[in-house]
Amino acid sequence: MRPLFRVLYLWRHRAPGLLAGIAVALASVAAGLALMALSGTIVAAVLVGAAIAAPLWLRIAGPARIVLRYVERLVSHGATFRAIADLRVWFFRGFSARAAGGLGFRPAGDLLSRLIADIEALDGLYLRIILPLAAALFVVPAAALLAARVSVWSGAAVFLLFAAVAVLLPLLVARDAGRTGVGLAEAAGGLRIAALDTLTGLREVRAFGAEARMQAEIARRESALIGRQREAAIHVAWANAAALLCGQFALLAVLAATSAPPVLMVACAFLVIAAFEPMALLPRAGVSAGNAAAAAARVLEVAEATPPMPEPLRPIRVPASFTLRFEDVQFRWAADAPKVFDGLSLDIPQGAHVALLGPSGAGKSTLAALALKVAAPQAGRVTLGGVDLSATAANDVRRRIAWLSQTTHIFDDSIRNNLLLGRPDATDADLWRALDRAAIGDWVGALPEQLETWLGEGGARVSGGQGRRIALARALLSEAPILILDEPCAGLDAETERAFFTTLNSAAIGRSVLLIAHRLTGAEKLDRIWRLSNGTAIAAAA
Amino acid sequence: MQDTKKAARAWARQQTRQGWRDAMPVAGLGLLGTIAAVTQAFCLAAWLAAALTHTAFPWAALGAFAALATVRAALQVAADRRAFTAGATGRARLRADIMARLLAAGPSLLRTRHSAELASAAVDQVEAMDGLYARWIPASMLAIAGPLLVAIVAGIADRWAAAILLLAGLLVPFGQAIAGIGAAAASRGQFLALARLQARFLDRVRGIATIVLAGRAEDEALSLARAADELRRRTMRVLRVAFLSSAMLDCAMAAALIGLALHYRHALLGHGGSPFTALFALLLVPEFFAPLRAFAAAYQDRLHATGAAEALVDVPAMPTAPATKAAIRTVEAHGVSVAFQGVKLTWDASRGPALDGLSFVVPAGEVLVLAGPSGAGKSTVIELLLGFVRPDEGRILLNGADIADIVPQALSQLTAWIGQKPTLFAGTILDNIRFARPGATAAEVQEAARQARVTDFATLLPAGLLTQIGEGGHGLSGGQAQRVAIARAFLKNAPLLLLDEPTSHLDPATEAEVLASLRRLAVGRTVIMAAHSAAAHAFGGRRLDLRNGKAILARGVA
Repeated sequence: MRPLFRVLYLWRHRAPGLLAGIAVALASVAAGLALMALSGTIVAAVLVGAAIAAPLWLRIAGPARIVLRYVERLVSHGATFRAIADLRVWFFRGFSARAAGGLGFRPAGDLLSRLIADIEALDGLYLRIILPLAAALFVVPAAALLAARVSVWSGAAVFLLFAAVAVLLPLLVARDAGRTGVGLAEAAGGLRIAALDTLTGLREVRAFGAEARMQAEIARRESALIGRQREAAIHVAWANAAALLCGQFALLAVLAATSAPPVLMVACAFLVIAAFEPMALLPRAGVSAGNAAAAAARVLEVAEATPPMPEPLRPIRVPASFTLRFEDVQFRWAADAPKVFDGLSLDIPQGAHVALLGPSGAGKSTLAALALKVAAPQAGRVTLGGVDLSATAANDVRRRIAWLSQTTHIFDDSIRNNLLLGRPDATDADLWRALDRAAIGDWVGALPEQLETWLGEGGARVSGGQGRRIALARALLSEAPILILDEPCAGLDAETERAFFTTLNSAAIGRSVLLIAHRLTGAEKLDRIWRLSNGTAIAAAA
Repeated sequence: MQDTKKAARAWARQQTRQGWRDAMPVAGLGLLGTIAAVTQAFCLAAWLAAALTHTAFPWAALGAFAALATVRAALQVAADRRAFTAGATGRARLRADIMARLLAAGPSLLRTRHSAELASAAVDQVEAMDGLYARWIPASMLAIAGPLLVAIVAGIADRWAAAILLLAGLLVPFGQAIAGIGAAAASRGQFLALARLQARFLDRVRGIATIVLAGRAEDEALSLARAADELRRRTMRVLRVAFLSSAMLDCAMAAALIGLALHYRHALLGHGGSPFTALFALLLVPEFFAPLRAFAAAYQDRLHATGAAEALVDVPAMPTAPATKAAIRTVEAHGVSVAFQGVKLTWDASRGPALDGLSFVVPAGEVLVLAGPSGAGKSTVIELLLGFVRPDEGRILLNGADIADIVPQALSQLTAWIGQKPTLFAGTILDNIRFARPGATAAEVQEAARQARVTDFATLLPAGLLTQIGEGGHGLSGGQAQRVAIARAFLKNAPLLLLDEPTSHLDPATEAEVLASLRRLAVGRTVIMAAHSAAAHAFGGRRLDLRNGKAILARGVA
């Protein structure tokens, strides 16, 4: 539960709105209870000839209930939207300052999907967990106190039974949800992998005639998932039934006080019936609480991890000159991982176009990670314009290095907004110039919506080559004097690849270019070629 | 967009109809629960009336109340279980339907859609439909039957009680119609905008590395905050109206309670009203409104399902089964000859034909290298031979039989295929090789691994050939993955080998090794290879240069 309290602490600035929501919710519950109890009391009071003001109160409680409920919904939803937005921005900031940069160097689809699902699991924290719980914590003593006026025993029974519904059952269900959650996530992951395997491998599946086999495998994974879900659903069903029984026996406890004043008994019976209604939701809230607690723990772990590269207290500004130099660098990704670089020294002089070649796994991309301050060397140093990167601010470095790789994301947004990421203050003329230099200006110009064309999720609405060119235009638009292109043409055919490099040769004049590749096409114009092998770089003829 | 929405709604309606039958038992159990609750109200009213009139307490009624409480709890468990089953059945049916459609549409889907997006439709969007089957459909059945049943019972006790309940009950649909028409129109209009803003956060998190490495994290955090603020403003504007229609339910219940209480107060004050009837009628109010509340709560589930249905409706429809004639028989020893006769195919009319009257012949056991720039039609030739697509015009002959007449199973037995990047499935290396022929013996799989030189690198892996690869497993390099694909082809031992740029992702040293393995694999088979690298062209055999879907230079394939 501690992670949940940590999330609540993040919301401390939203306390007035959130507390107001709770206050209105309590008032609305009170009005609801009064409405039901008073309508019973009116009928009862007539019979025993008591003169009461109940009809007047009833006429107040009815409209009050309606208005308060409406206000409650508005206030609590408004507050929850603000709280959710805060949480998301906080997560984005925390994550981006920590491990996020490293994701550019490895596929992280599954990790990100899980994190997004976790953030969404926290959306219901206030509306579906805290509000019903607050209402229950108000209803339990209120109902118990009134029942105690019928008889002490009734009061005690109502208190215990309602407390079981409000506290014990949700806790049990939350614990159960936490326990079964792991298995559920695994089963869901199994199904997702089976579906993704089949669909990614549609060519293999068709070529090997494996349709029936794959569909059977998906069905098998699905029934494993459904089996686990059924188990969890049955636990919740029992909890719901137990809650219902508790409510009913609380009512019996009131009825059994046969020596109580009859009007009081009627009022109390009606109140207990009305009071149970908001509490019936609590076992389900327990499930949400269990899931939310697990989700909060994972989200906090990511957003509050120790940054892999702490920023220097007084960062030195990177000078205007931009020679990038690696000096006797030793690096491994983890203490138990093999060394990637063992005494690597190379430099990319200001304005030079340099290629770095080597087989896969030789550490080509790691070099880019070091230059972008995603990782730091264990020994040796990396300097930009003569300043050690460890003494500079990461953003300062990254604004001077534009990076383009296969994992460069095309955002589900317009072409304009995709480009503006490179330079937010760019004018339309700048955008078109960048597009022209990336040799895609004509294509964009022929689109009906031009710069406003929506690119779709992950650039799904453009071909691979076009997506890469838009990413190149974004890199060219930025004022960064250094371009690092990490296998920019992977997945493109030879013709497109040659055209891309021909474009690059002219587009990047005046900037340094570090081209990372496993082989050259012959279209590149290079000042120098480095080959990586055995953790060091060897200069080769250009 | 409008058409998509219309189609999505029609499709959701059809799914609703199918879920109707599954939901029957849930609604039936719910109705039984309502009957038990009404009977309980009867017992309770009898007990309280006895207390008020100082007559003897009807202990039997109290006993019945307690017994019925247990019955209701049991009915609720049963209903919850059946609801889960209805949801699970609906999802399983839907998922099987979607997967069958995706598999039937085949690899050409991947030209326009991303596999992750399709997988999310088949997994996540189908899961999101659960609420439709498990909650919305049963709740919408009970929303009419439940209150009606309660009103009938109330009518037997007192016509006035039934009239007041029904009047208040009618306030719900009537009020929702007045407040709701605006809300529904507003919420439909805003739904897309909301979805887009919601998607923005997801997309920015997916691309977070790109943002961070561009040094724009703080700008993006601020713009996310702005977008979230706009989302809140828009949503609240919709909710202000939507909540009015929820308020109608509260309004109706308060009206029923107040109306009944005042009516019976008046009746009891000297018009001969019975206290039992009064209490019974009042106690029926919560039972009358309980199904309506459940219905209102399930509306969220329906919205969810409509959203998911929009993603699902994009999945291509099941193609009508082609008329298949007799399957051809092949004798492996003689191999397969391939002939294209004036083949035309257009993927996308705006981009012109991919193949424009292509003709060539490859005798059995020969190698043909297809050369040419991207878009020349090389991959299209391979995909036609795999049966992924059919030519618009012209014929493709295998051993003289038209490919259109060969049943897909027979065609897939004839061919082995290796693409640019093989898909490795989650499982061991051996599992991945065995994929080519599930019936193969362990010795045959081992032999295929040896011939493709998978064994060479597998000995260096933690668990050898039993190392887990694919999603969540050990990553293989491009060259290693390609060797697994070659092992698959060895195991399948098909007479026609189709290679689609098998070395385009490899560095020159690895490319040479993979080509050597492919040459061993090619022995005694008919091979068609699409390639653009020089080393691949040294593979030998006949050569056909393609440009814009036409042969421009042929060597030995006239």
